[in-house]
Amino acid sequence: MEQEAEKSSIGMGSSGGSDTDGSEVVSQVRKMLFHRMLVGIQDGRFFLGTFHCIDKQGNIILQDAVEYRSTRRSSPSPMEQRGLGLILIPSSCRISCHVDFSVDEQLSLLKIKQ
Amino acid sequence: MDQSGAEEAAIHRHPPEHSSIPSGENSVWSDVSPLLEAACRELRDGELIHGDNFNLFAAMSALEIMDPKMDSGIVCKYYSIDEAVENGVAPVPISSDKTIDVQCTIDIMDHLLACEATWHNGHSLAQTVFSCIYLLRPDRTSSHAILHSYCRVIRATCKAVVSVVSDARTHEEEDLFTMAYGLPLHGDGDEKCLSMLNAVEETIYRQLRACKATSSKKRVSEDIEPLQHNLDLEEGFCKALLCRIRFPFFPCSYLYEKTSRKRLGAFGTCEDGVEERTTASGRAPIGFDASLNSRSSAPTPPRAIKILSWEKAVQYFLKLLHDLDIVCSYSLDPSLEGVLRFVVQFQKSKPDLIARAHLQLLLVQDGKLYGRDPIFAVITKAAALPEVTKNHDIQKNEYIVQLGQLVINMLKILCTNAAWQRRKLGKILQDWRVIYVQLEIAFRNEFGSVSSISDDENICVKIFKHILNWVEEQTYWIASRYLMLGFELDLYSPNEYCMVYWYMYVVLIKLAEKTHLRISVSSGTAKKKGKKKKDSSKEVAKESRIPLPVLFLQCHLCLAEGLSMMLAALRNELMVLQSPSPFNTEHERFIQHFELLQKACVPDNISYLSFKESTTYTRFSTLVMYNYFKNAQRIAKEIKSSFSDDPDRLAEVRRLEQVAEHNGVALNVICRVGALDPSLKRRRRPNQSQNSKLIFGRLFFGLSPDFLIPPNPSLSLSLSLHFSSRIL
Repeated sequence: MEQEAEKSSIGMGSSGGSDTDGSEVVSQVRKMLFHRMLVGIQDGRFFLGTFHCIDKQGNIILQDAVEYRSTRRSSPSPMEQRGLGLILIPSSCRISCHVDFSVDEQLSLLKIKQ
Repeated sequence: MDQSGAEEAAIHRHPPEHSSIPSGENSVWSDVSPLLEAACRELRDGELIHGDNFNLFAAMSALEIMDPKMDSGIVCKYYSIDEAVENGVAPVPISSDKTIDVQCTIDIMDHLLACEATWHNGHSLAQTVFSCIYLLRPDRTSSHAILHSYCRVIRATCKAVVSVVSDARTHEEEDLFTMAYGLPLHGDGDEKCLSMLNAVEETIYRQLRACKATSSKKRVSEDIEPLQHNLDLEEGFCKALLCRIRFPFFPCSYLYEKTSRKRLGAFGTCEDGVEERTTASGRAPIGFDASLNSRSSAPTPPRAIKILSWEKAVQYFLKLLHDLDIVCSYSLDPSLEGVLRFVVQFQKSKPDLIARAHLQLLLVQDGKLYGRDPIFAVITKAAALPEVTKNHDIQKNEYIVQLGQLVINMLKILCTNAAWQRRKLGKILQDWRVIYVQLEIAFRNEFGSVSSISDDENICVKIFKHILNWVEEQTYWIASRYLMLGFELDLYSPNEYCMVYWYMYVVLIKLAEKTHLRISVSSGTAKKKGKKKKDSSKEVAKESRIPLPVLFLQCHLCLAEGLSMMLAALRNELMVLQSPSPFNTEHERFIQHFELLQKACVPDNISYLSFKESTTYTRFSTLVMYNYFKNAQRIAKEIKSSFSDDPDRLAEVRRLEQVAEHNGVALNVICRVGALDPSLKRRRRPNQSQNSKLIFGRLFFGLSPDFLIPPNPSLSLSLSLHFSSRIL
């Protein structure tokens, strides 16, 4: 955590947080900022929050995050939820990541992928 | 954990976006993992993608998921309480074998008691009492009468305690205490818990009688199903259960329990000598898991705690019950003086949070003393005003109203723990000082200068005068309590005792003066109406009819003065107990200790300089001349007989007498040694006076670090022997 903070502080110097403006992929990710993001992690929990930040290592920070977890080991089962606020999800435990896109945005995303 | 994580990964590869977590309107969840991966590859080291509102410092405070110290949601063994229950963690009945079932029930009761004690000692409910799954799912136990009723009672007790402690606001001392978010503190029908418990108790009592009858070969008329099937153990189990059910009402049963444990120990594995066990049997209880509700208390996991041992829990409850017993048997003394004395006495036994909260609620309810006596009436009584003033309009005066509030605050503060109490008392001293000044100004504005009005002219004048004097008296009382608490909290170092006793002495002079004035005025108005106040006080002094409370204070006063002077003389003549601290000067320490008193001008015109003036030239010769300890001893002897009906105060006076006597002896010895052994006097340089320092240091500590603590007679004896051998 502290390491990342140190590293990121280097990046802070550059304007707008990134110089790689030219890259299509990066600008696409930048468009995802402030969208609702749903991240699943290894132990079966999901976190839903506003996409706040991502670093080179793929660690994600979500704002106003809510934790969802199943109440049973066997899925499907009813989910329990609670608010957590600002959270950092290390890339190592992330297994899925989805963003809430409108249909148009979804289409433009597909274009890039191709 | 890792293994199960991998399993989960397989199961949850696809998010439940279509089922339980909906996307926005006209929008869909789209998988962005590949995109993120690609973007990360293109980012340079240390580069971030973030919006304009990004703040690195705020980001640092983000909770890190899957970090065991930050993430309380990490899935442990079970996903939820229900899943734990389904997996048989907290079965009902606990066992199909009735004998084992009873045995396990006893373990659960024991552990719950230990949990409750741990909670009372400042840990969260969620980690202690509510780590019990039976408590978290109240309805499940309904088929198990014993467990069900016991759980209900525990829940109801917790609820009652939380409400008392939050009402008394003593929970500020322990912020975790009243947190009960998301815990089922109230079960349906918990208000009937006592009658349920009574019924269970009745049944077990009958079973006990029945089994006793069978063992003595008598036929029992009623047909009672035994508690369990092993007849040899029936009596022991019945008694063990009864003890636990009755525990709150019959603490003595604990003693009995100790003897009966041997019998229970014959069954199962009993590890005697294991100090940390939370049950009497030493077995781990069934149905507890603190991790299951860790998510409900806070986003971050609480620190791991250790539950008190069963022995300690029982000791704790015995003390609590004893303290509550004192509170309950208190006679609701209507005089404020009596209340203050009771509270101070009660605090000496260092009662715990719960007992103090109850005491506070008893003392102050709805802004009235005991919820019964209006505070103005209490003040008029305390200030020795005639009964009629109770209903006088003056009580609507805004400063008088404020004064009432101050009195209530003071009472509440006196019920808190020693450290908290001292800090708060120091702070309210200023309020008391301010209200005095305000009252005085209000008084002047209304009635002109004090001197121009004769006593009987106006009842208001009298009220104001009395109240002003009383406010001062109370202020000095608070100051003396503040100084005393410093001893209790070990805040003074030995080389500071001199200034502390000196300050106590100057405060006590003022307190005695004000008390004397109040008492003589009240008795003067009662007996000699029309006579001038000055005369009456003179007369009282002449007749040496000094009232008892004043004599009591004078005894303290002589001791404080004597001790401070003795310390000063030791320092001046023998160079012991000097302040060797390289970090701060004596003046600085004076400020540190008495800053709050000085700020509030308690007493007026007292400063470090006046301390220096009165102690710099103190010699043993002056000490002997003034005979402080002899005086104290004489006064103590005099007043002892008056307290014969009050054992607490009698004991206190006895202690005062003892301390005075011992210090008198010590002083004599020091003087004689000093006279016989001039080398002692000559040793002034620190490296040379090591020996005498040691002797006098010990002498002093053994005798009177605080006049509340009875001196150690054996030590003083050995010291006098030591000295006499030197003299010989």
